[in-house]
Amino acid sequence: MSDPAITRGLGKGSIVLASRQSRLILAALAIIALPLIFTDTYWRTNLMICAINVLLALGLDFILGYTGQLNLGHSAFYGLGAYVSTLLIVKLGAPFWGAFVAGVVFAGLAGIFLSLFAVRLRGHYLAIASLGFAVIVYQILLNWISLTQGPLGIYGISPPPAIVVGGTTIVDFRNLTSFFYLVSGFTFLVYLLLDQLVRSPVGETLTAIREDEVSAASLGINGAAWKVFAFGVGAAIAGAAGCFYASFVGTLVPDAFYVSEAFTILAMVIVGGMGTLIGPVFGAILLTLLPEVLRGIGDLRLVVYGAALTFVVLFMPGGLVQAARFVQEKLRPGGQKT
Amino acid sequence: MSTVAAAGPLASAAEVPLLRARNLHKSFGGVRAVSDISLDVPDGSIFAIIGPNGAGKSTLLNLVSGIYQPDSGSITLNGHNLSGMRSHRRVRLGLARTFQKIRLFKQLSVLDNVIAGFHVHHKIPAWQYVIHSAAFEDDQRRCREEAVRLLEFFGMTDRLHVLAGELSYGEQRMLELARSLATRPRLLLIDEPAAGLNAAEVDGLLDRIRTLRSQGVTVVVVEHNMDLVMNVADRIMVMDYGRHLFQGTPSEVQKNPAVVAAYLGGELS
Repeated sequence: MSDPAITRGLGKGSIVLASRQSRLILAALAIIALPLIFTDTYWRTNLMICAINVLLALGLDFILGYTGQLNLGHSAFYGLGAYVSTLLIVKLGAPFWGAFVAGVVFAGLAGIFLSLFAVRLRGHYLAIASLGFAVIVYQILLNWISLTQGPLGIYGISPPPAIVVGGTTIVDFRNLTSFFYLVSGFTFLVYLLLDQLVRSPVGETLTAIREDEVSAASLGINGAAWKVFAFGVGAAIAGAAGCFYASFVGTLVPDAFYVSEAFTILAMVIVGGMGTLIGPVFGAILLTLLPEVLRGIGDLRLVVYGAALTFVVLFMPGGLVQAARFVQEKLRPGGQKT
Repeated sequence: MSTVAAAGPLASAAEVPLLRARNLHKSFGGVRAVSDISLDVPDGSIFAIIGPNGAGKSTLLNLVSGIYQPDSGSITLNGHNLSGMRSHRRVRLGLARTFQKIRLFKQLSVLDNVIAGFHVHHKIPAWQYVIHSAAFEDDQRRCREEAVRLLEFFGMTDRLHVLAGELSYGEQRMLELARSLATRPRLLLIDEPAAGLNAAEVDGLLDRIRTLRSQGVTVVVVEHNMDLVMNVADRIMVMDYGRHLFQGTPSEVQKNPAVVAAYLGGELS
């Protein structure tokens, strides 16, 4: 039994590995180069928002794209991460990184709470429940004025403390470039962790649940437990994004976490390509920058934005990833289909 | 309660069956889908369940695999009481199944479908899912090799990287069997494996079920295809309207007038 199929498969695997590593190095170089190329504050701000949105899209993709749970309430985890960390800093004077961890954990726990509904509810029913969850969280942020100051907002939130060694400041996060490196570095790390996770047996387990839960159970997969896991991880990532957002913008108002934000994140994941990690990264970047680029044409940009989204949903359900694969296949010499 | 009796000293004096069900009842609303069914499936045998459409065969299989819980009655597998145990837990006791209506992971490749079946057999600590070590790569390679071997057994090595949803109907049936075998079952429940297969494919299926038995897998098969059942089964249970009608060897079943009247009709007379 010389199994030619196995050797062929493994050979293919090592090629993939080599190109994967070179791609990751390329991505790291791009992150380092970007703020050096775009030196004005306007574009650096956009880069920062891109990094935060990539984080949000990755978290949602883990829940929606991999595990197949129709979560329409991702804005809630984002908002909880932002408010919990900020309130701890502002009201209790907690150190930034302690508050950061607390925000992440709290958002993760909120995700686990919502996942308990996902265990019972499927498809559209879960979508409605998660949407309801997002509305409730938004209303709490808006109306618990004694705690959150409601629509008045919280002002003057500081960036993370500077890294000081022996009295000299090494990195000062009031510098936009440094802060961008921090957030994009964190996002890069999250991407790496998720990538490792989905290429392990966890990947097959989660997609098995997405494809057919009954059949997954017949293989010994505990669907309920893995949904809790996926929601916990995805929501915690959104919590981190929220914490970065608050300290970057410096101002916190509930409207930043309105339900429409959940749909924006959803659009990023869908346009990029659900069930892949690289897709939502590009989806997030595209849908963050597109409105900025189209700003010149005024309100017409919303029409362009909407048309682009409709086009993707109708003709390219696999998103940018599907488009890239299509082009790759056309360009390949011989054009053989695999 | 009855489980204790089933696994008690009296039972162990004789050969203890791998699967034992006692007085199973299951109703859906007013419909008695399964009514007072008891069965013993000896280790290493092929046990067939036949009966007209709606006789409760699939419901019985769903009771054994844990998709439904019985209203009353008990099921033991290899001495373990399955009462109240959810289906994913039963897999760890060596129970696997296929579905009457094929349920593959359509967006996964053929190979990944089978690899997903190894879920309960990964022996690596959780942190290595994030930081892949040499032991992790070893485990991955072992799973992959075993998956390829299983697919080889079902003649599908040239289809490894095809999406499961793109396979022909017959291939999908075979893939579902390969996937269920990845859990390394002691007891395999097969729900109408021959449905939609042509004669040549049914022959191939027969051979494979026999091979599985020779490798120590006990098989419970629900089937309409009489060629398959009469050729491969050691014992046959006939069901009608959710009730037990008759149980015996294939030749006894063919001769039994009640069975012929209820199910086989004039075909064999």
